[in-house]
Amino acid sequence: MSLSEFYYMIIIPMLGISVILVFIRFIKGPSLADRVIALDMLILISIGIIAVYSVVFNQSTFLDIAMLFSLIAFLSTAAYAYYIEQRQRK
Amino acid sequence: MKEYIIMILSFLGALFILSSSIGILRKPDVYLRINITGKASTLGIGLLLLSSGLFFNEVSVGTRITATIIFVFLTISIGGHMLARAAYFTKTPTWEKTKLDELAGHYDYETHELRSEIPRKAPELNNETKN
Amino acid sequence: MTKSLFLSNLMLTLIWVLATGVLTEENLLFGFFLGFGVLWIVTTGKTDRKYFYIVPTLIGFIGTLLWEIIKANFMTVKESIFQDQLEPAIIKYPLKAKTDGEISLLANIVALTPGTVVIDISDDKKVMFIHVMHLKDKESFIKEIQTKFENKLLKIIR
Repeated sequence: MSLSEFYYMIIIPMLGISVILVFIRFIKGPSLADRVIALDMLILISIGIIAVYSVVFNQSTFLDIAMLFSLIAFLSTAAYAYYIEQRQRK
Repeated sequence: MKEYIIMILSFLGALFILSSSIGILRKPDVYLRINITGKASTLGIGLLLLSSGLFFNEVSVGTRITATIIFVFLTISIGGHMLARAAYFTKTPTWEKTKLDELAGHYDYETHELRSEIPRKAPELNNETKN
Repeated sequence: MTKSLFLSNLMLTLIWVLATGVLTEENLLFGFFLGFGVLWIVTTGKTDRKYFYIVPTLIGFIGTLLWEIIKANFMTVKESIFQDQLEPAIIKYPLKAKTDGEISLLANIVALTPGTVVIDISDDKKVMFIHVMHLKDKESFIKEIQTKFENKLLKIIR
């Protein structure tokens, strides 16, 4: 089995299933913090998917976007946490 | 030989991510979910990025991947701390089987201050009861 | 004194790399340990010996940290598939570390280890609130974190 076949057969379905599972939590989530943590997890999984596709298409330029996503994930989590904390303050 | 190492590393990374996403669906309250995502996703992302770094085997790719891994490791714990604090402030209920909660009563919801000891009696409450 | 010893160690590493003319990671690492050995033989005086204690402790500490992270991940895999008995709790942990740098390093390390998340640190920097997934006994848990991480960390930093 070559590397790209292995990636297509096993790794990408695993990551796809985990995206679906996290998305169910994102829709269900009883509180706002649940949704934020699910969103954070979605961005992290997308970093993994970008890393996998950069190997499959043999393009190392994709990894720049992975780095950018890791920056955005932290910023959005921090902003949402601040918003949740300050929301009920009049 | 190199291919098999890449396969094993990426399989372990995908397994960690899949297990943490199963955990995020099955755990009963917010704090346990934060706990689960912080643990499994760090090493999962790290291993996936490391496997692609081994595949390209260049210095420019290696520096980018190292920067990304260090950043993810540093920020996930900080993000988890901020979210847990915000969830506690908004009085998100903990699971009913939680053994003990020593944080209860330490927060001041007016000034957003965290004390290290529980105050005996809040003076504002006394005034309100008198009136 | 530790700083100047570290700088001279780096200088010896550079000299080794320039003398051999091979710029690879392995050669840099080998030069570093060679310089460390040379300094260990050359240095005299008791106050200077602290550097030779810090470097092996630091390497051992990073090793235990990586081992803990890997253990945490396998524990998560086991738990999310076979759903164990959960005993969550929020625990008040008295801090020995005083300055901001020490506390933030300790909080990062605690957050990466199995089954714990730091919720908050009190404003007067005396206690830290930790959410634990499996709590057997409060006292033994606090003692475990102190002996495993905090004492070693403070020994290295101070």
